[in-house]
Amino acid sequence: MKYFKVSFFIIMTLCLLCSVTFAARIEISSPGEQTIPLAMTRLLPMGVGGVQSAIETEFQQVLLGDLELSGLFDMTDPASFLSDADKLGLRRTEIDFYQWRMLGAEALIKGGYSVASGKLTIELRLFDVITQRLLTGRRYVGKLTDVRKIAHTFADQILKSLTGEKGPFSTKIAYISKRTGRKELYMMDVDGYKPIRMTDHRSIVLNPDFSPTRKELIFTSYKKGNPDLYRKEIYTGRESRLSLKQGLNIGGRYSPDGREIALTLSKDKNSEIYLLGTDGTIHRRLTNHYAIDVDPSWNPKGNKIAFVSDRRGNPNIFIVDVHTLKVTRLTYEGKYNATPAWSPKGDRIAYSRMDNGVFNVFTIREDGTDERQLTFGKGSKEHPRWSPDGRFLIYSNDLNGGEKSIWIMRADGTGAKKISAAGGNDSHPAWSDRW
Amino acid sequence: MQKLTITGLVIFFALSLLVSGCAKKPAGDTSEVKETTQVEMQQEQPAEIMDDKVEDKPFDAAAAARAAERAAAKGLERIHFDFDQYILTDAAKSILVSNAGLLRAAAAVKVLIEGHCDERGSDEYNLALGEKRALATKNYLVSLGVAAERMNIISYGEEMPIDAARTKEAWAKNRRANFKVKR
Repeated sequence: MKYFKVSFFIIMTLCLLCSVTFAARIEISSPGEQTIPLAMTRLLPMGVGGVQSAIETEFQQVLLGDLELSGLFDMTDPASFLSDADKLGLRRTEIDFYQWRMLGAEALIKGGYSVASGKLTIELRLFDVITQRLLTGRRYVGKLTDVRKIAHTFADQILKSLTGEKGPFSTKIAYISKRTGRKELYMMDVDGYKPIRMTDHRSIVLNPDFSPTRKELIFTSYKKGNPDLYRKEIYTGRESRLSLKQGLNIGGRYSPDGREIALTLSKDKNSEIYLLGTDGTIHRRLTNHYAIDVDPSWNPKGNKIAFVSDRRGNPNIFIVDVHTLKVTRLTYEGKYNATPAWSPKGDRIAYSRMDNGVFNVFTIREDGTDERQLTFGKGSKEHPRWSPDGRFLIYSNDLNGGEKSIWIMRADGTGAKKISAAGGNDSHPAWSDRW
Repeated sequence: MQKLTITGLVIFFALSLLVSGCAKKPAGDTSEVKETTQVEMQQEQPAEIMDDKVEDKPFDAAAAARAAERAAAKGLERIHFDFDQYILTDAAKSILVSNAGLLRAAAAVKVLIEGHCDERGSDEYNLALGEKRALATKNYLVSLGVAAERMNIISYGEEMPIDAARTKEAWAKNRRANFKVKR
């Protein structure tokens, strides 16, 4: 009995502590370490239009997928829900918070929808169960086909109100797929939904990157024989060649302000890193070494670029200062380190290391300390890229019998799951910014 | 004393052979040679008809050039590299010597040298590595007397394997430089 009392006391203080920090908008930088108990009720029909179970199911599935991927929540089992779950009341005063508190939920999502003359309206609320406050309330109006978009947008909003930083769920992933038999550029939602082919080059299309400011992609293609750098406007489909120097025009990466592009050119018979203007003119040559220099990746400040070089024998990651051109070495472990991706938060650089013919994803600090291996086991995991909020990494994995597909995981390596459909040999993912 | 007589005998015998040979040769040998040459002349008579054709010299040169071109197109062998290397192996060099011969014989032929890698390693790095392989191949052929203007290079990195299997043998096959005759 005494034991019970003590443990009860501890739990209560813990709950109190949780609720206090929770209310103070804790910054959850490494997901999975602390989770918020969250209850999400079914979307209920509001007035006109009646029950549309397809909408309910799809919304539930998409939002739940995003929230689970975030790793920030401990979802309360819907089977344990009490009577309040079936009440539409979206106002603070209409909700029986006591019921939710009994289930251990600290946050609650409630929502309703209506369909009228082809228009879909979804009303959503996120409540703090402990303080009985409304954290965020949104009304979305769209087409009947906008269910997923609304769910993703609200998921972003939930993360913003609980952590201070929006989620990346309504952004896009560009990637290369061999679905047609040749490598072409594709784009899909963050959960792998709605893949769209963007190019019809019938050649080899490689390594895309999103503009941080415009709805535009750059990539390399052999369409005209030489591996040239192309630019494509996403919505108009307009396309032009941006850099067509003899030799390689590969690995283009927009600077954080979108004004320059770092890439590899080999016009002088050796691969070097250059900066281009968005009109394709060369602004600056950053490296000058007879070794291979490829795969540039900007830091968020836009004053340093990580890249791969074999100037010390094996491929390793180096960092060049864009202004002083001073080169420092970042990785020393392993025999083959490639494809660096600098976190948009600036704190870590992700890359893939090959060991015994298999790549795994690692991260390291800019000063070369605190190297961490994020992926293990079978399957080569290559080309890691960060989500715009730095919470997630996306990469390709050839776990399924040699066929590559796109996977997503949290920045600490947990929650890894495949998002692209089978049969595409999908690689080279790139994550869009929040436009 | 005995030795002297033996050497004396040997010399005598040799001399007698020489004398007899000299005496016989003109009579017997010449007649035989005439006979054989006559027979050969008769057999070679079509060669005189060939002489008429040789007058069409330009036609023949073009044919020869085409033959050399065909030989080059057929005979230019691909070379292979070690993992993550663009240095030419001895085996690769000896193949390039024979390729250079074919290219020198077919002076009008232009070639595209393609550098390729196996699937291991990063795509971008392999594009740069493939280019280094193509360039090393070109430079060696230049050193063997093939004009640099006749050769262009391109890298396909790991994009165009000839064997998609994931075995050591397949990877070794895929790490290569091939030649494509233009036109």
